[in-house]
Amino acid sequence: MNLALEGVSYGVDGTEILTDISLALESGEIMTIIGPSGAGKTTLLRLAALFEQPTGGTIRYDGTDPWALSRDDRLVIRRRIGMVFQQASLFDAPVARNVDIGRRVRWPWPRRIRAFLERLLPGQFTGSPAVDERTLEALELVGLRDAWDRDPTSLSGGEAQRVSFARALAAEPEVLVLDEPTSDLDPRNTAILERAIERSRERDHGVLLATHDMHQAERISDRVAFLLEGELVEVGPPGQVFKNPRDERTARFVRGDLLYDDNELLA
Amino acid sequence: MPFELIAEPNYLRSVIRVSLTVSLIAIFVSTLVSLPIAFLIGFADFRGKRLVTAIINTGMGFPSVAVGLFVLLFISTDGPLGSLDLVYTPEAMIISQCILAAPVITGVALSAVESVDDAVRDTAYGVGGTRTDVALITLKEARYGVITGVLAGFGRAISEVGSVLIVGGNIAYADGTSKTRTITTAITFETRRGEFETALALGAVLIVLVLLVNGIVMRLGGR
Repeated sequence: MNLALEGVSYGVDGTEILTDISLALESGEIMTIIGPSGAGKTTLLRLAALFEQPTGGTIRYDGTDPWALSRDDRLVIRRRIGMVFQQASLFDAPVARNVDIGRRVRWPWPRRIRAFLERLLPGQFTGSPAVDERTLEALELVGLRDAWDRDPTSLSGGEAQRVSFARALAAEPEVLVLDEPTSDLDPRNTAILERAIERSRERDHGVLLATHDMHQAERISDRVAFLLEGELVEVGPPGQVFKNPRDERTARFVRGDLLYDDNELLA
Repeated sequence: MPFELIAEPNYLRSVIRVSLTVSLIAIFVSTLVSLPIAFLIGFADFRGKRLVTAIINTGMGFPSVAVGLFVLLFISTDGPLGSLDLVYTPEAMIISQCILAAPVITGVALSAVESVDDAVRDTAYGVGGTRTDVALITLKEARYGVITGVLAGFGRAISEVGSVLIVGGNIAYADGTSKTRTITTAITFETRRGEFETALALGAVLIVLVLLVNGIVMRLGGR
């Protein structure tokens, strides 16, 4: 599924957070959004994942504007997108139930009621196993196949984030929207998640990833987009953005100058 | 157990039966009303939300005698519900206990729903949940708080004296069994008669009942 942002703007209470953003994400592509804190990366991702409606411009998935559709029709598109947040938020339920929630909300109500009754009176209604193969496959992609029956409180921060990622993968999305998923992780957990992200690309999923880790952006991106103060400054392959940027502001950001000299740069 | 209660087991049984029946029905009805209100307020953003929340919280402290008086005026012969002839009936006691318990259940459940992290709602939405799914997942995350609200409401209802005394009248039939006499009003009655042992025994029964119901509900809630 292809994603296109056409002149997208977003503002709250008269304050513009994103201005005239245009970019396209193809299937099987990893696009990384870089930029300083407060640049609007999270807002951009929330717009892409249809959490928020743009106040200007249009978002299109395979040419269709989801916000022109009914809520039910938009839900069909929404369910082809998976989102992972910076902070892992796991429900108060075993890991397997956290991971398969995306599929359970897609079940028709009679099946959901049967599953609920099954949990109250095990073995009386469906006879289904406690965990299914697809859930285990998703957990395997993040190296946690054996953790399916663990309580979320027993997981480390890195493991919890990997479970969050497995939850997004288990619903088999065609577009993955990842908001700094590795920002709090150690190198090992980061490497596991990066491998899972690359596996998604191999499966022809589009990946939109926000990160503060320039090495990560350079390592796994097909294209990098630099966002500054709500404006898209530059989009290009990592080789261009990091080695030979076309915009002076991009050059200064990747060199680290922007960290010290925001006002001068923006002027 | 005091001699009187052993000699009159029917009295004790009927008092417990009336107490439990009235309070459980009142809690069932007020839970049915309160939880949707708590969720609607918890999920919606509207002008005056803080005022509505403040009113609910104030309701948690309604004086029970005032509620009893209000209900009595409502159901008395000249009141709007006078034709239903509810004065001094268990139904009138159910109404007053509903009014007392509803703000407690609503207030505690609302607080539980609002305390669920926004990230949970975002996650529920992000996995493709509908608004109903987001609400159900939030409810599940808030379940212990919601159960606490229902239990607090039950505690308020079954331990309440003032309003049931006013609208129920603490009436026993000629054979000594209870019509509208609850454990709490019976304790008041027996204390006034100087039957302290009976009153103490009834107090112990009340405490055991509350503990029992709490235990059952907590177990059903998974804690």
